Amino acid sequence: MSEPQKKKIVITRFDPDQDEVPKTQEYEIPVQPDWKVLDALNFIKDEVDGSLSHRWSCRMAVCGSCGMMVDGEPKLTCKEALSDYGDTVEIAPLANFPIVRDLVVDLDGFMDKFKSVKPWIIRAKERAVEEGPMRQSPEELEEFKQFSMCINCMLCYSACPVVANEPEFIGPAAIALGHRYNTDSRDEGAAERNEIFRGEGTVFSCSFANECSEVCPKHVDPAAAVNQAKFNAVIDWAQGLILPRGGK
Amino acid sequence: MPRASHPHAMQPRNPGSTRTAPPQMSPKFPMQGRYRAYTLFDWTGLIYLLLGFLALRVVWALGTGQEAWNVVMDQFQSPVYIGFHVLSLISVIFVGVRFFSFFPKAQPPRIGPVKPPPQPVILAGLYAAWIGVTLVMTLILTGVLF
Amino acid sequence: MKHLLLKLEPIIWLLFGQGILLGTLLLTGWVLVVGVLAPLGITPLLSFSDAHELAATLIGRVVLAALIALPLWKGAHHLRHVFIDLGGADRDATVAPLLYLIALAGSVAGVLAVIRL
Repeated sequence: MSEPQKKKIVITRFDPDQDEVPKTQEYEIPVQPDWKVLDALNFIKDEVDGSLSHRWSCRMAVCGSCGMMVDGEPKLTCKEALSDYGDTVEIAPLANFPIVRDLVVDLDGFMDKFKSVKPWIIRAKERAVEEGPMRQSPEELEEFKQFSMCINCMLCYSACPVVANEPEFIGPAAIALGHRYNTDSRDEGAAERNEIFRGEGTVFSCSFANECSEVCPKHVDPAAAVNQAKFNAVIDWAQGLILPRGGK
Repeated sequence: MPRASHPHAMQPRNPGSTRTAPPQMSPKFPMQGRYRAYTLFDWTGLIYLLLGFLALRVVWALGTGQEAWNVVMDQFQSPVYIGFHVLSLISVIFVGVRFFSFFPKAQPPRIGPVKPPPQPVILAGLYAAWIGVTLVMTLILTGVLF
Repeated sequence: MKHLLLKLEPIIWLLFGQGILLGTLLLTGWVLVVGVLAPLGITPLLSFSDAHELAATLIGRVVLAALIALPLWKGAHHLRHVFIDLGGADRDATVAPLLYLIALAGSVAGVLAVIRL
């Protein structure tokens, strides 16, 4: 029987109680041909070094919790075949996020941005239950469905140069989500959200690097959403000039 | 070594008590992988700015008179200007190809009651306009038209 | 200044977008002939009098004004991104207005240039 293949896994380590700055640690481990990158991390955690911290849950690219930088690219580690990488694989925490420990990043900044776009259906007047469901045609659904497929894995934030350099920028996934509701025929909150899109974290900060869409594991195409949102925010702004809205 | 992100990148509004390590950018930024095309695309801003001012110079000379026009046209024959214009031509084509590939998906599915045409049709329209305008401009400037 | 910039973003974005779209459409033939083919002697260039006559028409003036102004806005906006990507976001409130003022000054000069034709 042949020896199992070995790979060198280079992992970023950071212990907030001991380390000034993150460092790297190398692990040489036997690997199986059908392993995902996440399997290698779990092997290290279970068999080699129990002090390693990393997030994961569903193992099927749905929960969005195992996003990390694999050889410098933001990836879902449960989706990436280890065999697609070389003899040495570098794994680091998601870029652009504060690092809590090892491969675990702080999600609270993302949650703040997420909430800021009011990601729920806004109605001018609440609809009574007796009035029945709000109907929507397949064509109307098609207009935003793609943007509702986001799993909040934050790979897009990790890839975006504007997120890296402009802390206030709302960012790809949250704008895509806001745009998803603005495009929903049942929603009446577009004017409110467009004001948010033109505010502090403005959609116009986006420089259309398109990296968010390149790395999105669910093909949400956030760059399309952000740039459609710019277009709508401009139309809404122009309408506001011609027909000023009262009360604001 | 990756470059540091802005120290406040993705920081929560109310940071917790655990000390965190500052965010780092992707190690591929700005000139590796796909970032290279993005960075060069942004740097074409410098070329466009210079082209705008050079066009201003040409038109200003046209309004000043034959002598001023001749001075500009003589300068444009120097290797430095020709080199810059060749680089500009490559830049303009690069900008067109990259921007036109993104343009169709940036159109909202509906603008009021109006639905934009399907994305391949928009893309074909952009290229048709690009080739058409370039052809007409070339024929006019070389004196073939008019 | 930051507040004013935010207010102006929609207009700047429109000018920038047209700078890429119309700017690229117009500049390709312009640079090809005026900057490369004619100086190299590969093609002729309109004589001064023909160029002046054509440029002084209404369409000529509008096209030339667009050819001057729109690329300036594309340029200013993209250079702003370059500056931010180099880590300059904290100085954006100073740098961005400067870049846009350069584009504005060039645009005004461009309009003057086509008026005096």
